[in-house]
Amino acid sequence: MKNTESPGLSERFNARSIREFSSKNAIVLVLIGLVVFIGFVQSSFLSLDNLVNILRISSVRLIIALGCGGILITAGTDLSAGRTVGLAAVIVASLVQRPDYASKIFPSLPYLPLFLPILAGVAAGLIVGIINGFVVAFLKVPPFIATLGTMVIAQGASSLYVDRPPRGAQPIGGLRGDFTDLGTGSLGFNDTWAIPTIILIAFVIFFLYWVMLNKTRLGKNIYAIGGNLNAAVVSGVNVKKNLITVYVLGGILYGLAGVLLAARSGGATNNYGQMYELDAIAAAVIGGVSTNGGIGTAGGILTGVLIFEVLNNGLVVLGVSAYWQMVVKGIIIVSAVALDIRKYTKKR
Amino acid sequence: MKKLLMVLVALALVFAIAGCNKAPVKPKIGVAIYKFDDTFMSYVRNQIEAAAKDKIELSVQDSQYDQPKQNDQVDQFLTQGATALAINLVDPSAVSVIMDKAKAKKIPLVLFNREPDAADMAKWDKVYYVGAKAQQSGTMQGEIVVAYWKAHPEADLNKDGKLQYVMLMGDPSNTDAKFRTEFSIKAVEDAGIKTEKLAEDTAMWDRVKAQEKMAAFLTANKGKIEVVFANNDDMGLGAIEALKAAGYFKGKKYMPVVSVDATPPALDALEQGTLLGTVLNDAVKQGQATYDLAFALATGAKEIKSDVAPLAKADGTVDPTGKYIWVPYVKVTKENYKDFKK
Repeated sequence: MKNTESPGLSERFNARSIREFSSKNAIVLVLIGLVVFIGFVQSSFLSLDNLVNILRISSVRLIIALGCGGILITAGTDLSAGRTVGLAAVIVASLVQRPDYASKIFPSLPYLPLFLPILAGVAAGLIVGIINGFVVAFLKVPPFIATLGTMVIAQGASSLYVDRPPRGAQPIGGLRGDFTDLGTGSLGFNDTWAIPTIILIAFVIFFLYWVMLNKTRLGKNIYAIGGNLNAAVVSGVNVKKNLITVYVLGGILYGLAGVLLAARSGGATNNYGQMYELDAIAAAVIGGVSTNGGIGTAGGILTGVLIFEVLNNGLVVLGVSAYWQMVVKGIIIVSAVALDIRKYTKKR
Repeated sequence: MKKLLMVLVALALVFAIAGCNKAPVKPKIGVAIYKFDDTFMSYVRNQIEAAAKDKIELSVQDSQYDQPKQNDQVDQFLTQGATALAINLVDPSAVSVIMDKAKAKKIPLVLFNREPDAADMAKWDKVYYVGAKAQQSGTMQGEIVVAYWKAHPEADLNKDGKLQYVMLMGDPSNTDAKFRTEFSIKAVEDAGIKTEKLAEDTAMWDRVKAQEKMAAFLTANKGKIEVVFANNDDMGLGAIEALKAAGYFKGKKYMPVVSVDATPPALDALEQGTLLGTVLNDAVKQGQATYDLAFALATGAKEIKSDVAPLAKADGTVDPTGKYIWVPYVKVTKENYKDFKK
């Protein structure tokens, strides 16, 4: 691409360059196409309220998909993502119940400063991440199996955590307003000029992850490990250290996502996060992350997540029946990836 | 000679072990729950365990939403000498496999909460069912809405005399979800109020999904929705979160939301005035009735009964020869929610 010296207008818009552009950005075009189509059929889809709502929902999903995405790029996978989100959600929710709420998980819980419960939720994710990283990097268990194990463990752990005396298993509700503000509130000068906090947090995380992937040694190593493990080893990459780091980063992000999910929905149950790992992996793959490793970008993952959530919201707004929603989603996943994969297959 | 001796010793051992089995059978109940992370079932399970404490030995297993796994667990209960089974089926249509296993060993079977087909139930006289009539939960939801609608003429936003509603369904393959959806609206129509469905979608019993679907409903039907029906509390509470985000429950902007289950967060929402009403599927009584039957059957009691409700037939008519116990639902609203706070 670098050898093109300011091409003329006619050259820039010739058929070949359009084709190249569209194959390179196929996935963004799919997203724009979806938004335009749904907005054309049902104009309220394009209302500011609805678009902001889609971004709110996408925020949690993006954070999970980024965590998963980095791991996918190392040619790994993380099935524990969803249940880890759930574990973090129940832990943080149990620690921020209103003092006057009748059925608190911890009846004599004092009023904790907000950062403590949040740290506890993130720490739960961190611990799962450490286990994943250790098992994958040192015990050489294939990531699919290692994280399948931690997925089941996290599910069990969140059920054990919720199902405790004196009240036994129950949904956790009655969360403090200052906590749910994280998910439902906004930051800004006044009501009209404000950005929802959760979107802001997701944006910061996205930016940091983008910097990590593109500007740091860790990022380069992640691509190297996923692209060609042997070459990475030969060129002196500390595979174990980098693998552990990427799984731990993933765990931290799932923990944070769980915290935000509880804040956005105002509660938590022990089946929170169920199947989120598959949505995250699908979104990452739609966004151009290769499950064979070595390929993928933060921007692609963002696009994949947005396509998913635009579909989730748009199909309901259009009044498509629940069964057809599944069929349409399946078709779009497969065709989006089929479109996108052409840019890699052509190179070979 | 040595070989003969060995054979004799072996035979003696076999008889000794077989003899052990002849010892008086200790009553024991095998309980399988379709999945442990279902909130409602954990209330039922808590009650069964509490009722059995110090009275009878229990073995409680998690079937993890996997019918073949549950079948294996039943085999295990039977080989371990359970004298009665209490099974919360994963797939109620697959009951015959478990029934045949129990029948072969003559171990009576109490099924609970997930109802098999009446034709399957009729195949054996030692099988019982404890549960609630799902139709009733829908009917009661409808009745709560009817009472509100009649007392609040302003609820008819567009003054067309019709009730415009949206419905958040549970898993559409679940009979509870179907009945609640159908009978809640039927109760409203039976009260002489015309209805119009603006949207209906499944949120799979899930709070987060319901919040997302409700937000989309609001986008597609801005200002038109008059009532929100949800098949369970988790979804009703998710809908309330979406409504809050759209500016409801502040000042005079209100939306009646009804759901089913009366979980602690739902009772809290009743207290806050965000939830209009919920219907209690009485988990404690279901657990108690399940235990009562299983205990009577396991210990070979003469009379099989429960104080929760009388034995009845499949259609609900009370009948001492019936094999069903129908645990009644309870309406929970702002007036009586305090009675249900634990």
